Amino acid sequence: MNIETSKPGIWKSGKGKGRATPKGRQYDDAALAQVRGLLGDGETRRDLLIEYLHLIQDKYGCLSASHLCALAEVMRLSQAEIYEVATFYAHFDVVKEGEASPPDLTIRVCDSLSCELAGAQQLLAALKDDLDPAKVRVLRAPCMGRCDTAPVLEIGHNHIDFATPELVDKAIAAGDTHAHVPAYEAFSAYKAAGGYSELEALRGGSATPDQIQDKILASGLRGLGGAGFPSGRKWSFVRAEKGPRYLAVNGDEGEPGTFKDRYYLERTPHVFLEGMLIAAWAVEAEKCFIYMRDEYPAVLQILADEIKALEDAGLVKAGYIDLRRGAGAYICGEESAMIESIEGKRGLPRHRPPFVAQVGIFNRPTLVHNVETLYWVSKICREGPEILSGTELNGRKGLRSYSVSGRVKNPGVHLLPAGSTITDIIAACGGMTEGHTFKAYQPGGPSAGLLPASMNDIPMDFDTLQKHGTFIGSAAIVILSDKDSAKQAALNMLRFFEDESCGQCTPCRVGCGKAVQLMEQDTWDTDLLEELCGVMVDASICGLGQAAPNPIRMTIKHFPEEV
Amino acid sequence: MSTSITFNLDGKTVTAESGETIWQVAKREGTTIPHLCHKDTGGYRSDGNCRACMVEIDGERTLAASCVRTAAEGMVVKTESARAKTARKMVMEMLVTDQPERDRAHDKGSHLWDMADQQGVATSRFPKKEEDRVPLLDASHLAMSVNLDACIQCGLCVRACREVQVNDVIGMSGRGLDAKITFDFDDPMGASSCVACGECVQACPTGALMPAAALDTAGVGDSKDFDREVTSVCPYCGVGCQLSFKIKDDKIAWVDGVDGPANENRLCVKGRFGFDYITHPHRLTKPLIRRDDAPAKGLNVDPANPFTHFREATWEEALDVASKGLAKLRSETGTFVAGLGSAKCSNEEAYLFQKLIRQGFGHNNVDHCTRLCHASSVAALLENVGSAAVTATFNEIENADVAIVIGANPTENHPVAATYFKQFAKRGGKLIVMDPRGQGLKRHAKHMLQFRPGTDVAMLNAIMNVIVEERLYDEQYIAGFTENWEAMKAHLAGFTPEKMSPLCGIDAEVLRAVARDFAGAKAAMIFWGMGVSQHIHGTDNSRCLISLALMTGQVGRPGSGLHPLRGQNNVQGASDAGLVPMFLPDYQSVQDDGVRSAFTSVWGSDDFSNQKGLTVVEMMDAIHADKIKGMYILGENPAMSDPDVEHAREALAHLEHLVVQDIFLTETANFADVILPSAAWPEKTGTVTNTNRQVQMGRPAVASPGEAKEDWWITVQLAKHLGLNWDYSHPREIFDEMKINMKSLNNITWDRLEVAAVTYPSLSAEDPGQPIVFGDGFPRAEGRARFTPANVTAPAETPDAEFPFILMTGRQLEHWHTGSMTRRASVLDWAEPEANASLHPKTLRKLGVESGGMISIATRRGAINIMARSDRAVSEDMVFLPFAYVEAAANILTNPQLDPYGKIPEFKFSACRVSAAKADHATAAE
Repeated sequence: MNIETSKPGIWKSGKGKGRATPKGRQYDDAALAQVRGLLGDGETRRDLLIEYLHLIQDKYGCLSASHLCALAEVMRLSQAEIYEVATFYAHFDVVKEGEASPPDLTIRVCDSLSCELAGAQQLLAALKDDLDPAKVRVLRAPCMGRCDTAPVLEIGHNHIDFATPELVDKAIAAGDTHAHVPAYEAFSAYKAAGGYSELEALRGGSATPDQIQDKILASGLRGLGGAGFPSGRKWSFVRAEKGPRYLAVNGDEGEPGTFKDRYYLERTPHVFLEGMLIAAWAVEAEKCFIYMRDEYPAVLQILADEIKALEDAGLVKAGYIDLRRGAGAYICGEESAMIESIEGKRGLPRHRPPFVAQVGIFNRPTLVHNVETLYWVSKICREGPEILSGTELNGRKGLRSYSVSGRVKNPGVHLLPAGSTITDIIAACGGMTEGHTFKAYQPGGPSAGLLPASMNDIPMDFDTLQKHGTFIGSAAIVILSDKDSAKQAALNMLRFFEDESCGQCTPCRVGCGKAVQLMEQDTWDTDLLEELCGVMVDASICGLGQAAPNPIRMTIKHFPEEV
Repeated sequence: MSTSITFNLDGKTVTAESGETIWQVAKREGTTIPHLCHKDTGGYRSDGNCRACMVEIDGERTLAASCVRTAAEGMVVKTESARAKTARKMVMEMLVTDQPERDRAHDKGSHLWDMADQQGVATSRFPKKEEDRVPLLDASHLAMSVNLDACIQCGLCVRACREVQVNDVIGMSGRGLDAKITFDFDDPMGASSCVACGECVQACPTGALMPAAALDTAGVGDSKDFDREVTSVCPYCGVGCQLSFKIKDDKIAWVDGVDGPANENRLCVKGRFGFDYITHPHRLTKPLIRRDDAPAKGLNVDPANPFTHFREATWEEALDVASKGLAKLRSETGTFVAGLGSAKCSNEEAYLFQKLIRQGFGHNNVDHCTRLCHASSVAALLENVGSAAVTATFNEIENADVAIVIGANPTENHPVAATYFKQFAKRGGKLIVMDPRGQGLKRHAKHMLQFRPGTDVAMLNAIMNVIVEERLYDEQYIAGFTENWEAMKAHLAGFTPEKMSPLCGIDAEVLRAVARDFAGAKAAMIFWGMGVSQHIHGTDNSRCLISLALMTGQVGRPGSGLHPLRGQNNVQGASDAGLVPMFLPDYQSVQDDGVRSAFTSVWGSDDFSNQKGLTVVEMMDAIHADKIKGMYILGENPAMSDPDVEHAREALAHLEHLVVQDIFLTETANFADVILPSAAWPEKTGTVTNTNRQVQMGRPAVASPGEAKEDWWITVQLAKHLGLNWDYSHPREIFDEMKINMKSLNNITWDRLEVAAVTYPSLSAEDPGQPIVFGDGFPRAEGRARFTPANVTAPAETPDAEFPFILMTGRQLEHWHTGSMTRRASVLDWAEPEANASLHPKTLRKLGVESGGMISIATRRGAINIMARSDRAVSEDMVFLPFAYVEAAANILTNPQLDPYGKIPEFKFSACRVSAAKADHATAAE
């Protein structure tokens, strides 16, 4: 047939200019097959996006554009929805077309305060010098929750304590890049010692939720993630809302200096798990989510195995406990950001009100507890409220698991009376490291800033530090000595906040950045910093931005000679 | 339901509705609290992220963002406390720090600078962000400039893209200070899946996203720099978006969406960026008369230089020649003249056009492009419901819990309506999409039924069979409001899902699930488009949809209804105005003596023919048969839009006398004897009626070029030259005359339309109109709608060994119909520059053609060469072909077989053959 295309009446031809495909990136069949292979055939779930990203990252060492594009197709999401989540979390490596994949091995060197005091920067520099960047990638990273063995790094998923370049070489040579699971009390041992009898009794009707709630209240147990909200009252708020309700465990122990949750999970995970199931029973939770930070691969392994054991033993239905893996974002320790992350989204804190007890996961009432809080729920139910309320010191009741690191002889988790002073705590740690004189301390993570050694008689508990402009938080105590600079410590803390700010609100996103720029100057513009701090506290959406100014303010106040 | 709340605002006791925010109450009380991420127009969720609107609430540790904090009983709020003011001011200072210098701003008149001025913030004490952290500019899109150096991460563009338009292209990626808005995977905007609706540009408060046309070469601009603005209606599709032309130096500088009832500030790429066609050098500015020495008629005129075939003439001479040619044919025995009016012009112009043919020539040979789009839907609706318009506006989907979209691709063809459908799905509404193509709504659908082309009746009857078998129908509704149910029930018994499944290619269980979901709805709507209507069984397809809605009682209540999505901006109005061969205005039969006399008494003229006139495709056949010898064609382009278009072009060439009135020298105008230059829509006054039955006012934004005139004026002059006693001097006089015999316009006056849109029917002078009709019965005998059973009819042409593929034609987002406007609009042409046909990648592989390579497509009518687009949305035995491209005109291939009731051609199904284009063809196409 004759095809005419060049008559004068054919006034337009865009030949050669058109798109060969519909708009935007198209998935390719091979990548689609690979992603389907990883995800399986069933329906995908939007809330599992981060889990799916882990599957791809674990298998292929990165998130290539072709895999992400295929994932979008499989999940019926837009590319933007996938990309913004993948790029929010530090542990995902998005690799676009034409970009090089990261090398097979990644080393993350912790540069949070305790590790920095222990020489993390020198370690980082040495590793970067020594190692072939084509084979090993060396990155800085925030706290890995092993501050008592600083400096620390993670090679693959193998954490190396008291790290040196030599230890790294050895690990590489031995191919030792997987998490080392420590010995711990597994299900059978825990059960044999009477574990879960309390849970089963409660489920059998031995007490009412009200009775248990009263017991928890009587113990004085408060949220040990750092907020210190009375746990029993939290239960009553959640129980007052119409179901279905959820329980979420905040295992995103990211506040630098804190490692108590890991401590308990790597030793007696079932004390925590039973506490969780008791709390779930009390609020009639449809499901329990455990959000565990990706920096704790051994804990993730332990929990996966022990949840399986619980399922096998018939203590929980398969799927009742949904273990979720974080992906490298401090902000997800903020409970509403954690909920967003559990829903498979970027970890942006939500506005309050409404509170998560009313509107939490999937907009349902949600009981959120820290790991250690649930550990104590279990203990209280089994041993009575006196296990906490029976201890009193300096007018304070209860016990506190202090994570202590820095310039002390025996850093580690120390379970002490909640009324202990910093003097008591240093004593419990065997005193200062040889050659170091106590100068300052971080009472509760960088969010709490720094106090001078002179303020050594304050009980390190909830409510007692507020009048000094700080708080106990998660009891992450870092001891500084005369060899350390308060100013540098404060800068370390603000750099951490700048890196970990979710970026949602102006005072935190811009404020942390501007604060770091101002703090990097030889002399601080203390008036401007103070004004900035006030606005960050007043106007940030969540605790990160509201607490980030503490290191600045307290350094100006207590160490004016340094700034 | 909502309760009233009392609280203290700046020392004053105020009341608020439950759910109202502090910001809203403050504004009502006269205080506009500074705001950036909060957009003070409907449709945007407040996000509370910028913290520019902080207020102090007694008893709270920190300040609260007033845009998201709802008022609570007894709350004491201070908007002007020192703490609140300090915080707000410092937030502005922080953001201003990293803005480009104001005299080099991308938008000097931005909302951000307004807010900074309001608080006296001009400079910042903070150090600027390190330069390597400032994102580079992205100029990859012709319509929009992405200047992230001005971005404040407020996320309004993300909400615009994801929550308002639901195009889901923009994300906020990364985190912290390096969080930035990205397109897809941080792709250049122009290479992303962006559909250029421009909602983000309209939402951006800083100039980080700007219409490229508003920036100079240095990227500096000012959104306040225009001389005047004119509110009007979009000239493209039937959604009828209201928009505001921003005019500078008497040119349209850019366009914003405004709050019309159908669009609520939203626009699509055409309505926002598709207006520079009006200044294209091809615009007709003077009347043209075919030269005596012109070559034979054919598609052989270059619109850039028509003087090879035409000469310029005065209006007087052109009108004289135009009218004489028609008058000569009028004087012969027979009905040798036919008119094609336009659904792109105003109601008044449509009315005048049909009046000209009927009064001036005494017969009913007048039609327009409704014949090519929804004629079959109209036939079925009139037959069974008694009215040709939608029973509910598309916006009613807000109140629905289930919706079917069948044979319509609204993300491309009704993009703003599609935003409401996507929002519906996002809210949890069950969206059921039925389409042979995996079109844009697929991702949002609960059920995606990619059925075999042409098997609509089989599929729909099977769904209705399930509803009958499982007794899911609404007995009370059927008894109260319908007729012929028993016959329908009996008819459906033979259409079990198991029997129909092999025909339509949808699993029986899926058909059952869809039936249960639809019948189980509290409120359900059905939307359809050309995929339903453009078949030889188009009327039957629509009958099925009507029956489905009737048997489930899904008509006449909020969130329920039948909605054929009308195509052209004024196809509803033109049809209402009688621009069809069988009806006078308001669908009053030409065969009814009383009806005709009602009109002739107003017109002051004699009776005219009581015979239905010829329809569009019939006219072309009649020309070949020498029964039509002269035509007056206004704004239609049958030389591109008719099926078997070579046959239509031959017909046009065969005419003794052809008068074409248009803004460009269209393919149809190639064949004209006289060409009359029209004003384009943004140059005209007149009303239009959208798919929702909303009558809206179009207003002139700029002057017409040269001697181009408004269409109503030209038709009036022609009428005068044809001896008619017409003396209209303004469209409002025409509108007033229309109202005399159009009950649908009761209570709707020109003055009301000057103020706001009115939906018909309007029940009083104050009633803005009824979005939902037929809650209390139908405009048929006894108020009952009818079930008309439909049987399965095979397509007129089925694939065979010689022509094994199914060819389906349609539209693409950027191009309007035959492309005469949109291919001359720079952004639209940039986005979709080349004729293309979509095939499945596997099919291309089998054919040995690379995506982007040239193929030949042939049918029994003809063949074209065209670029192949690799697109998984089409099945492996299908070709999708848009009809906007003259260099590869789809209608050379289409089958002119008609639906017996609606007389609509089967554009959606031809058998074709596809092969790699031969090299010589490819070369010939250069």
